[in-house]
Amino acid sequence: MKQERTTLEVIAPTVEEAIARGLNQLGLSQDQVEVEVLDPGSRGFLGIGSRHARVKLSVKAAGEPPVEVASTMPETGALPQVEEEGVAESGMPLGQWDEQKAVEVARRVVGELLDRMKVHARLRVRIQPPQEENAQSVVWVEIQGDDLSILIGRRSETLNALQYISSLIVSREMGVWVPLIIDVQGYRARRERQLRILARRMADQAVLTGRRQVLEPMPANERRIIHLELRDHPEVITESIGEEPNRKVTIVPKRPARRL
Amino acid sequence: MRDLVEYIARALVDDPSQVEVRQERLGGNRVRVELHVSKQDMGRVIGKNGRVANAMRVLLRVAAAREGKQATLDVVDPR
Repeated sequence: MKQERTTLEVIAPTVEEAIARGLNQLGLSQDQVEVEVLDPGSRGFLGIGSRHARVKLSVKAAGEPPVEVASTMPETGALPQVEEEGVAESGMPLGQWDEQKAVEVARRVVGELLDRMKVHARLRVRIQPPQEENAQSVVWVEIQGDDLSILIGRRSETLNALQYISSLIVSREMGVWVPLIIDVQGYRARRERQLRILARRMADQAVLTGRRQVLEPMPANERRIIHLELRDHPEVITESIGEEPNRKVTIVPKRPARRL
Repeated sequence: MRDLVEYIARALVDDPSQVEVRQERLGGNRVRVELHVSKQDMGRVIGKNGRVANAMRVLLRVAAAREGKQATLDVVDPR
């Protein structure tokens, strides 16, 4: 029997966004479609001469029916909304901790986990002082080595799982909640820069078109970067919709489209 | 694979002596890992909305992939 293939072409500022929008329209996840990049687009220079990306999504053989699009109930809660990770669930008390001891414990725990995952890498562990007012110091574990993309995973799933399990074990050993960030070859810093640029660009798009922009699903720490980047934006508000792991940030213009 | 799950479980529970991990070969390259902990410690290895167990599954997947295998993790409810 010949399957008729449903295809959809999407145009958006970047390939990533085009895919995300297409999937959103189809109500499918990325592994249910084949993606063909028709035009990767071009960022141009300072927004001048930029060209949008164009992708074609083909729905794979109709083994499974399309999944319903996740609930779009807006999250209740005050704005600006900053999502917190881990603390509440760990059951560990908040408080002061010994930085030197935390560095040692984190190095040992992450090392033990990687050994058992058969991943060979070097670790650099340091304390990152508070970045914002009222923030805490963070134990920062940098994993270095070759071919570590296996430690990042799709939508940084593996990296976040490693970070979550490591945080739980380290905090339990320290008897207090210790915020811990794990990075692989500078991935988080690179991703943060990309997300800030994406946030700005999608906010411009929201203001220009007067329509809400829905970003691709992201883990909580990435959604937080978007919320923070646009917290003081005069013309848009941000909110997260949908259920994990398909929770997405939407950027909503405060006013209708500008008339040109 | 087994030792990864065992290490994580022992580090998270109140009673490490009750942690037992069994590894069973299924057909082909598939492996089933079974985690047993005391009833009181079930919540610690499962977590809210299964978050801890799911994170363990993600890490187990990497460990298994290193050996060319696919692994599933079951947290077994003690009677």
